[in-house]
Amino acid sequence: MKTGARTSRASALAAVAAAGLLAVLPFLGAAPFTITLLTEALIFAIWAMSLDLLVGYTGLVTFGHAAAFGLGSYAAGYFAREVTADFLASLLVAQVVVVAVALTIGFVATRVSGVAFAIISLCIAQVLFQVAVAWRSVTEGMDGLVGVPLPKLLGLTVDAGTEFYLLTILIVLAVYVGLSRLVESPFGRTLQAIRTNEDRAAAIGINVRLHKWLAFILSWAIAGIGGTLMVFMKAGTTPMSLHWSESGNVLVMAIFGGLGTLFGPLIGAVAFVFLRDEFTTRFEAWQFAFGLVFVVVVLAFPTGLAGIITHVWRSLWRARS
Amino acid sequence: MASALVVRGLSKSFGALRAVDGVGLEIRDGHVHSLIGPNGAGKTTVFNCVSGFLRPAGGQVLLRGLDVTAWAPHRLVAVGLARTFQITKVFGGLTVIENVALAARSRLGKNLQMWRHARGVAEAEAAAEEILAMLGLGEHAATSAEHLAHGDQRILEIAIALALRPQLLMLDEPTAGMSAGETERIGELIRRIVKRTTVLLVEHDMEMVLGISDAITVMTQGRVIATGTPDAVSRDPQVQEAYLGAVEARSF
Repeated sequence: MKTGARTSRASALAAVAAAGLLAVLPFLGAAPFTITLLTEALIFAIWAMSLDLLVGYTGLVTFGHAAAFGLGSYAAGYFAREVTADFLASLLVAQVVVVAVALTIGFVATRVSGVAFAIISLCIAQVLFQVAVAWRSVTEGMDGLVGVPLPKLLGLTVDAGTEFYLLTILIVLAVYVGLSRLVESPFGRTLQAIRTNEDRAAAIGINVRLHKWLAFILSWAIAGIGGTLMVFMKAGTTPMSLHWSESGNVLVMAIFGGLGTLFGPLIGAVAFVFLRDEFTTRFEAWQFAFGLVFVVVVLAFPTGLAGIITHVWRSLWRARS
Repeated sequence: MASALVVRGLSKSFGALRAVDGVGLEIRDGHVHSLIGPNGAGKTTVFNCVSGFLRPAGGQVLLRGLDVTAWAPHRLVAVGLARTFQITKVFGGLTVIENVALAARSRLGKNLQMWRHARGVAEAEAAAEEILAMLGLGEHAATSAEHLAHGDQRILEIAIALALRPQLLMLDEPTAGMSAGETERIGELIRRIVKRTTVLLVEHDMEMVLGISDAITVMTQGRVIATGTPDAVSRDPQVQEAYLGAVEARSF
């Protein structure tokens, strides 16, 4: 009991320390380009962690997680441009839209499991993609939503670059600490029980469908936070943010980092963005190069980068004692 | 004495096969009631229909007078019915005590709490510790469930079900894959459990069934052919024929 509380406090402290370290980078002379890349990576990290809740903890594999992210982007971006650039108001509006959609489609999608769920989630995302392409009066079709202003926080404009980067760090930290607590809570344990064995979970009185539905809604809401940040960062979005290939990317980030660890998808997203940047400047077919790295890491360590880190950590620990 | 469970006219088909055909059962409070019969007799189908894992095609299931026919498993748990599985289905990634505490939290209605730590629900932890001690698994509390010996995993199955404080506990072949010594341990355990809850037992081990049951129902080919005390049932000519037939069939 006490050890559990102690571990979560220790990991929260480690997260705060890591966030602090990231926050001082711009003041230690990190290049603006690096800061931009890091901001994007951290936004993807929110998205990858939200996916981990669904795939890694609840066992619901989805090929449509771009829908949650892209929908958050469209809702927040449209509201910010048309009504007010206030960040918290835009975030709230995006959350309402994303949760409303997740409530409805999650109710249908979580009635099934396994491959059926994966396919249904893919279909839903593709429907949203087609809506974004066709509903030109709101989404501006394939051209995408443009002209999203810089966000305002308490009336002050958050500048692109360092200020926005710091805001992103704060939100990633909040999401990470919140999710870490969630997965250790009675609710989180219940989700893990469902992942391990649905029948067994039902046989101890767990309402499996209700819990999967709630996990789906939570996962979408958190992905929507990422989408909100992204639309402000890029000053707009396109239907491609809802495309199935994006759903594939976020799955790759989460698996590369290590599913069911939270911390893994976080570093998986960062590694993905930096490796992609590195490879696109060197190779025509960067996906091929990244794919090789991905396959080697995941074959050697089924729990991805998080597995490597745990392994190294344990070896160091053993060497010391 | 009141009835813990009454089943009337239960039927279930799989395609053209009538797996269960008009089965009736009545289990008295505080009894160990066994359901036996040769392979393919329909015992497991009855078991799954009663516990909500299969939807019966016809018939009625009454739990202490409450009509619970075709209820979902989690709703049945809420009104006092718990089951174990023939193939061990403990939660492998969790420790032994977490397996039991999970069920205890479920009983206490704490599944939806999202902020406090799972191990901080003191009442669930205490209940889990008590049950593990009672079943002799106390020393394995912190072991990962997947690393338990097979026999201990079978007992953990029972521990998880007991944490739900059921009024009726359904055990699906609890001695499957066990040695003679372990089977004896399970039999002794069931006699202790029945002080807390009525037990419906599906089992192959005849010696154990005859030794621990208050009542026995025998099924063949989807129908009940006899119900009564162990003595009465073992003297029943129809039962003897069914089992002799099964033994002969098996020797080929």
